[in-house]
Amino acid sequence: MSELSYQSPLAGVAEPQGLSISIREIDERGMIDLRGLTSDAGFMAAVKGVIGVGLPVKPRTSASWGDVKVLWLSTDQWLILSSRARAHELLSQLRDALQGYHSLAVDVSDMRAIIRLEGDGCREVIMKGTSLDLLDPEYVQGCCRRMRYAEIAALLDVVEDNVFDIYVFRSFAHYTWNFLCATAKAPAKLKLFGAQEVPA
Amino acid sequence: MLAVKCPVCGAEGDETDFHAGGQAHIRRPATHDPAHVTDEEQRNYLFIRINPKGLHFERWRCDRGCGKWFHAARDTVTMEFKAFYGVTELPPADVIAQAKGQWAEYFANRLTSESKA
Ligand SMILES: [Zn+2]
Repeated sequence: MSELSYQSPLAGVAEPQGLSISIREIDERGMIDLRGLTSDAGFMAAVKGVIGVGLPVKPRTSASWGDVKVLWLSTDQWLILSSRARAHELLSQLRDALQGYHSLAVDVSDMRAIIRLEGDGCREVIMKGTSLDLLDPEYVQGCCRRMRYAEIAALLDVVEDNVFDIYVFRSFAHYTWNFLCATAKAPAKLKLFGAQEVPA
Repeated sequence: MLAVKCPVCGAEGDETDFHAGGQAHIRRPATHDPAHVTDEEQRNYLFIRINPKGLHFERWRCDRGCGKWFHAARDTVTMEFKAFYGVTELPPADVIAQAKGQWAEYFANRLTSESKA
């Protein structure tokens, strides 16, 4: 008999050397995909009752309460983040609370890989793979959005000024990791304004 | 490069963040009158498209944003977008007024049939 067991998509990758920022995988995170209508006051209240915070309705924003964070994905879709253990609890509570409402809640904890970027120059590194202008004042803490990153679908969460989480589908984890390791190399560091130092 | 703006979530971006979905305002004849669909109507619905030089109406999807479909009016010569509007909506009246040829005919028919209804 084989037992189901979770293995992180980036388990065993080598510690990257010589990068201008730090990158690491976040594997201890549960994710729930939630869909429903913001026009349905009962649905909105039921969700708030479970997760403790109202769903963010403003496009490209997130909301948090304690160890739970909600990312806006669309006008009718959110991603609820928590620890893996808590996600199981939240999911059953959500399903109970949402009985009778037109909605959907699914555990998608194993669907995406999360890579955390930290340090001065994260924005420049990410901008090598996306058309987004991350210097725009919209991209501050509390902002999240889907984007096309290195030609694949990704989700960007601005955790803090110099801390970013990139979510990609699990099968793209290695691709994204390798792309980051290449574009974040210290000699490839970009300066957006002023004269660029010639790498030694 | 085309700069696109989604009317649903307000995301602005490069055309690579969006997905072009072909001609807009195509109506499936069988939805309206399943019992009387001629071969010609069905052929037109499936294969015949307007390909104007100038103002055109298209479907686009906010692929790397909210994921919703919407409509856009675009000039195929200058590549300039004239309007972005909802997927169940008609273009703004001033843009309809600029439509020529088959599109002008289409909107005239559509507006008369809707005012009768
Ligand atoms: Zn959108």
